[in-house]
Amino acid sequence: MITIKNLKKSFRTEEVETLAINNVNLTVEEGEFVAIMGPSGCGKSTLLNIIGMLDNPTEGSYNFASHEVAGLKESQRTQLRKGNLGFVFQSFNLIDELTVYENVELPLIYLKMGKAERKQKVMAVLERMKIAHREKHFPQQLSGGQQQRVAISRAVVTNPKLILADEPTGNLDSKNGIEVMNLLTELNQEGTTIVMVTHSDRDSHYAHRVINLFDGQIVTESKNREIGAMV
Amino acid sequence: MIKNYIKIAWRNLLKRKVFASINIMGLAIGFGSSILIYLFLSYHLSFDTFHPNADRIYRAVTEEHRDEVEYDASVPPAFSNTFKEEYDFAEKTAKIVYQSGFVIDVQNNGKQQKYKHDVAFAQEDFFQIFNFPLTNGSNAIEIEAPNTAVVTESMAKTIYGTSDVVGKTFVLENDKTIQITGVLKDLPRASFLETEIFISFENLPDFFEFASGDSWNGITSNLECYTLLRPNQDVASIEATLLELPKKHRPTSKNKHVYKLQPLNDVHFNPNYGGLNPVFLWVFAIIGLFLIAIASINFINISTAQAFYRSKEIGIRKVLGSFKTHLFWQFLSETFVISLFAVMLGFVFAVVFLPAFNNLFEIELALTDLLNVKFFLFLFATLLLVAFFSGSYPGILMSRIVPVLALKGKLGHNDTGGQTTRKVLVVVQFTISIVLIVASIIISKQISYAVNSDLGFDKESIVMVEIPDDIEPFKLEGLQERLTSISGVQNVSACLSSPGGAINNWGTGLKFNNSPENEEFNVQAKIGDINYLETFDIPLVAGRNFFKSDSIREVLVNEKLVEKLGINSPKAILGKNLESTGAGFKARIVGVVKNFHDRNFTQGINPAFIVANTDWYGEIALKINGQNIKNTLDQIDAVWSGTFKNHIYEYQFLDERVAEQYETEQRYLSLSKIFAALAIFIGCLGLYGLILFFVGQRKKEIGIRKVLGSSIGDVLALFSIDFLKLVVIAGFIATPLAWYVMNEWLQGYAYKTQIHWWYFAIAVFAIMFITLATISYQTIRVATNSPVKSLRTE
Repeated sequence: MITIKNLKKSFRTEEVETLAINNVNLTVEEGEFVAIMGPSGCGKSTLLNIIGMLDNPTEGSYNFASHEVAGLKESQRTQLRKGNLGFVFQSFNLIDELTVYENVELPLIYLKMGKAERKQKVMAVLERMKIAHREKHFPQQLSGGQQQRVAISRAVVTNPKLILADEPTGNLDSKNGIEVMNLLTELNQEGTTIVMVTHSDRDSHYAHRVINLFDGQIVTESKNREIGAMV
Repeated sequence: MIKNYIKIAWRNLLKRKVFASINIMGLAIGFGSSILIYLFLSYHLSFDTFHPNADRIYRAVTEEHRDEVEYDASVPPAFSNTFKEEYDFAEKTAKIVYQSGFVIDVQNNGKQQKYKHDVAFAQEDFFQIFNFPLTNGSNAIEIEAPNTAVVTESMAKTIYGTSDVVGKTFVLENDKTIQITGVLKDLPRASFLETEIFISFENLPDFFEFASGDSWNGITSNLECYTLLRPNQDVASIEATLLELPKKHRPTSKNKHVYKLQPLNDVHFNPNYGGLNPVFLWVFAIIGLFLIAIASINFINISTAQAFYRSKEIGIRKVLGSFKTHLFWQFLSETFVISLFAVMLGFVFAVVFLPAFNNLFEIELALTDLLNVKFFLFLFATLLLVAFFSGSYPGILMSRIVPVLALKGKLGHNDTGGQTTRKVLVVVQFTISIVLIVASIIISKQISYAVNSDLGFDKESIVMVEIPDDIEPFKLEGLQERLTSISGVQNVSACLSSPGGAINNWGTGLKFNNSPENEEFNVQAKIGDINYLETFDIPLVAGRNFFKSDSIREVLVNEKLVEKLGINSPKAILGKNLESTGAGFKARIVGVVKNFHDRNFTQGINPAFIVANTDWYGEIALKINGQNIKNTLDQIDAVWSGTFKNHIYEYQFLDERVAEQYETEQRYLSLSKIFAALAIFIGCLGLYGLILFFVGQRKKEIGIRKVLGSSIGDVLALFSIDFLKLVVIAGFIATPLAWYVMNEWLQGYAYKTQIHWWYFAIAVFAIMFITLATISYQTIRVATNSPVKSLRTE
């Protein structure tokens, strides 16, 4: 699904040029659950942003579902992202002015889906995430765990091929964290590919494969037992 | 999608109530003013557009070429008949002669009542040229026969108490019994025609022989001649043909007439011929635009300043698949929602302030004038335009926000952009306010200069009272004696009118020193008795006052006339003869008076002469002392009314009459004051919004500064200096701009006040003070908070 070759990303300030991603090669197969780990500033989020098409690489190639993404214009990236990718963030990133229902509905609106279909899809995903009873609430009225479930609902409502999760349990207590990881695992088992950035060893164990980044380079790549068994 | 935009717009509005209120209030003032200005402009633009053949209707006017060109909205009395009989350009041509303050005597239910109203003597064809129908809708107005008249429905009700007045009679000027043959529908407000009583032209010789006659030798501004041209006429070639008329009928006159045809739609807008100066309307429209622009600037500034707070939402939307265009339109929809509220509130403002607006301009605009498609189109177009103008720049800025930074919270306040634009826009607001303040100062200085300057005659404590035209000399003398005997009256003079602010002006040609030829220039004839100079305190610079005489043997002239004749000293002209062809006398110059302002300050002083002639007196001027004025006025009333039992007593103070000459300026002043106040108020709203935002943004910094020992003054300075710098920049831009505009305006005056540098300084300091006051409230509030609280808020 994802093939990354010789990917580089540099940031230039007035005086220095920082290489955030340095010659990364990575392949992610459909149905995989990959965790990216590494210390702060190693480039994991930058890599996730490039995979999520929120950012362009400086050099190299990024192929997503047979589409070359590197070098696409912002509007082209948006077009490709829509419906194919779902995002889950550490800080949930729900829109405060919209209700739970409206937050989840938003990506479907951008896909120009009809109202009735939207309603059916949103309610189905909210039921599944066990948050339907809160559909009319605003994000500030929910607990952290509930907010993250809404965020996951929003990420999966379009039935995307790939979910990108950036420290999805970073702002949650352990109970809610485990719940969120179970949800992601469930989605993965149903066929959704997941790429997750995490600091947590515990969370990384949910993934099939763990990639360790250091100074913008992949230093180790290990497979967890479960995936080993699957393979 | 649009529903989603509007929903989020509404919630944002509720969430940021203070900012929304500032935006809505500012825009509402802009819209409210625009609605009133629209009403005002559409009223003026609709003048006389209701006549079916308006494009073929013209007024015959005259350019009088002497040493300078003068414009007269009239023609010699003979013009009309000649134009009708000797040419075939027109379907109809008619004269109308206006007369003010005629006594109308009515017998109503056995009771006699007297009224004083303006009347017009009109030829029947006048009503065939225009569309002023009878109440039954027909144009069959019958005033061909002498002693007939038509009146408007309102006038009928005023004088008879009913509109059913056909066949009823009234007595005109205690002389002619006139029968009403028809009742006209009330005249539209937007029409050149304001008179409500129209009397047969056949009656005019009894009241104004010259205007009713067939003379080419003069022009009275009371007469107007209208013509309905045949279709497809070439006006330029008609005017070329008319050039032969003066050659034929005024071959020797030094006053070269050029007759022109003025289109009906030009009558209301040509200041040369007494119309409104269209610049006035332009100024109005521009000020309306300014107000909306200032309010839109508030909107742009507050929105761009707030972009940071919305960056997370924008980041999320982008991640979820929103294109830049979605975000742009989303923001525009929000602006539209806010503007919609502003329009509604603006409409309420317009309703509330319409009476005051009408009062200021002495017009009667009604909200019902707005019930038409045109207005709603205007309102909708303005709404769209304002929403687009205000919303597009912040929309572009917000749609440019980089989602990665926004979502990571790494976006700084400066990354959302717009700082420079914001500064530029604040400077624009300050500049407009400073220009308007300077304009107000200079206009008020010019008015006070014109009203308070030495006019060359005394205008204080002088009461002007009209007297009937047909007064016999012995009766007048008796009246003057009785008036002089009133204890509060110091002086009494019978005259045609006052030296300045005159209700009757008489311009005429003259021959000097027995020359057979008229001089090149026109001269003002001032008619007054031997008390004229003393009553109006006009000093003599040479010679003496004329002696009392039954005929005109002696004449006084002013310095300007001496100068115009090319004579070096006033003394040198004494003893010379002066002959006025128009006034019909030849007399010896016995004195020269100091120049006096016979016209308002827009024009220079005319050459003038003063002679005594009982036949031409139209007013009595009474110099009264300042004590017990009411009692004095009552006594004057009693004496006057006792003398003229069949007339109605009216008086006016001369200083008021002089001030009336500056009504337009007074309106400009009121306008510039109101709009300056509004502009400043809207600007302050925006400033308040910005400060509220900046203070909120820098709360932590203020806390830290306070912990480190900063005083309230330091904190105030921290926020004020940047704004004060902008005021100074605005001052530099506004000064040449205001100087240029106001200097141009002053060019319209022959006598003008000086523009001083400190007018600009006052304006800049006023804006600085207002800015500081606006900033202080919020800043001091935060600066006096406990720093612990400020630090905790982050």
